[in-house]
Amino acid sequence: MDRPTAFELGTEDPMVVDERQLHHEKLPPGKWIQKNLFNNWYNSLITVVLGVVVLFFAYRAISFVFVTARWTPVTENLTLFMLGRFPRDEQWRVTAQVIIWSGTMGLAWGAAVAGAKLRALQTGIPYVEDSTLSKVRRYWGLLLLLGMLLVGTQTIGPLVVVIVGLAVAVALFYVSSRVPGRHVGYLWAAVAFLGVFGYQIVSGFAGNAWLWIGAPVAIAVSRYIGQRDWDDVRRQRYSQAAGVLGVFIVAFVVFLFFDSEGIGWDQWEGFHLNLIAAAVAITLSFPLGLLLALARRSSFPALRIMATTYIELIRGVPMIALLLMAQFFIGFFLNTSTPLSLITRALVAMTLFTAAYVAEIVRGGLQAVPVGQVEAGQSVGLSAIATTRLIVLPQALRAVIPAMVGQFISLFKDTTLLTIIGVSEILNVRELAHSQQEFRGFGIAETLVFVMFAFWAISFTMSRESQRLERKLGVGER
Amino acid sequence: MTDKPDNAETDDQAFADATQMAGSGELMIELDGVDKFFGDFQALKGIDMRVARKEVIVIIGPSGSGKSTMIRCINRLEEHDRGKIVVDGIELSNDIRNIQEVRKETGMVFQQFNLFPHLTVLDNVTLGPRQARNMPKKEAEELGMDLLTRVQIPEQAQKYPGQLSGGQQQRVAIARSLAMSPKVMLFDEPTSALDPEMIKEVLDVMKELAESGMTMLVVTHEMGFAQEVADRVVFMADGEIVEVGTPEHFFHNPTEDRTKLFLSQIL
Repeated sequence: MDRPTAFELGTEDPMVVDERQLHHEKLPPGKWIQKNLFNNWYNSLITVVLGVVVLFFAYRAISFVFVTARWTPVTENLTLFMLGRFPRDEQWRVTAQVIIWSGTMGLAWGAAVAGAKLRALQTGIPYVEDSTLSKVRRYWGLLLLLGMLLVGTQTIGPLVVVIVGLAVAVALFYVSSRVPGRHVGYLWAAVAFLGVFGYQIVSGFAGNAWLWIGAPVAIAVSRYIGQRDWDDVRRQRYSQAAGVLGVFIVAFVVFLFFDSEGIGWDQWEGFHLNLIAAAVAITLSFPLGLLLALARRSSFPALRIMATTYIELIRGVPMIALLLMAQFFIGFFLNTSTPLSLITRALVAMTLFTAAYVAEIVRGGLQAVPVGQVEAGQSVGLSAIATTRLIVLPQALRAVIPAMVGQFISLFKDTTLLTIIGVSEILNVRELAHSQQEFRGFGIAETLVFVMFAFWAISFTMSRESQRLERKLGVGER
Repeated sequence: MTDKPDNAETDDQAFADATQMAGSGELMIELDGVDKFFGDFQALKGIDMRVARKEVIVIIGPSGSGKSTMIRCINRLEEHDRGKIVVDGIELSNDIRNIQEVRKETGMVFQQFNLFPHLTVLDNVTLGPRQARNMPKKEAEELGMDLLTRVQIPEQAQKYPGQLSGGQQQRVAIARSLAMSPKVMLFDEPTSALDPEMIKEVLDVMKELAESGMTMLVVTHEMGFAQEVADRVVFMADGEIVEVGTPEHFFHNPTEDRTKLFLSQIL
């Protein structure tokens, strides 16, 4: 113990709380066990009984995983589980995508660190870098999944992907975390650029690729011009507009030459599809839910009634019913010339469904912001929109991070429901694995355990990251 | 001025006196027969008041007397139901542009500070000018630092409000209001949520502000501040203005029984 506690100093001031109670100070293992598990006879009894039960199940679980389980249905079909029947000669696209996205994550992490360093510099709260050990502890679920895939794999390919991906991620992290904090905007633009680029690798550079990739770059250009100290606000606005337009024109011309057909996402299958579907539905349902929440609290009755009706309607029906609607009936409502693919329709249904829940979560956050904040915003002359955008929303969203991440985790797991309408996501692909002659009725529990583990690893990481984000955003505030 | 007859004091005369004292004849704020209801409860009953430019008015009265409601009506945080409110020649109507104009010209300081907890102190101060007046960032930050120096906490500029003491937070709130270069400052019990040892630092800033010629309406329970700084003291009870007068008149020679009762309870 570094400092003597009040108790040891012999003060009896009731206001001085024992520090051990405040900080849950670590006791040596022996003492901890004695204090928490065997401190009286009935507690000891409960400990012994529960201990036996836990040990029994742990033993059964371990002996299943390492002895009885026959993992060949998983290891022989890893590619199938991950990609489904994705054309094998186009598999390089997914490999490239994985490597690019690892790089994107490294870059994003580095950008976050660079931003945190800048804030630390400005606010005087020292920035403490995570140790490698704490980074490993942060992502242990994900690392365990990765390790398992590597152990189980039958070919050298995945090993190469993981090593190259990790190397790219670490390199980009190293570089971007050392970029001066004032340029952190460009890093985030690069993150968005790479993210879209990775997606385009699989889906091809046809269509509106230039639009997708131009957008983050345009935002960066606009911000760069916006940061310059110009006296004339109007001149600055025009320059920003010209810069943004310029980026889009250049991107358009470049991608005219880059044009290549990719794999339409109606051919995406397996866990790859679960991940992408969840990412897309999360990305789309968040802004939609936000707008719905604002509409529900709007002072315009028409908006309010529409939003309320929508939310209550959608929340009142099961998601599976909505998915079946998407499968069979959306064609009647949306009279498009070319029919939308099944996956697109399913994603629309999932997005609409989740948006209603996001809206209610955000509304809770909006209500938690004290009315004094709005009054303060108004009294410094902010418009209603500026008050919402700059004062209410940042505080509201911060307050609802846990609930929101919970909803997104649930959405991620609900992507398995797509199997019901015949989309080849991971559960559906599992059926395929077992329809092969050699795996028919063989290792059914094992493949299921594998699927569960894959979902758990990612959901757990999301949950841990949200807890961390929550703690970080709380620093120095309130 | 000390020997004027007590009972002949009308509001117009008080206004004339006040304008003499403040050295400015311009009308800054005019309230004319203002009524305000919360449901069936009438919070303001026919309030008439005129405030001259550079005048410092202190509003006192028992809780629930409508003091806060009145000054909240002046920048439309509350909407009045009847009567007329004119601020610097702009009449408050339902036109949102009118309301915006009035809000840009009136600063407001709240009992609970209402600083933006997710922004640094400097960003709290510069938000108004940058958003509502399109001021370039650099200029806004220079202005912000000037104002923080004026309220004597420039060293806290990069901290978050949660890291500051109550007195410091309230001074930031004053700086935030001043950043919009308002013509009127409204104070809604600015020291009521503060620990006693922090009240003085906020009152000192307010005194300095009054000396610089700012038009101020202050709802407060700080009688010392009222005696020292106010040009006129307004006593409100049950949604009505009961008595208006100079601090000397008000504290030493009040006319109304209601005022005498109130003073006997608090002094």
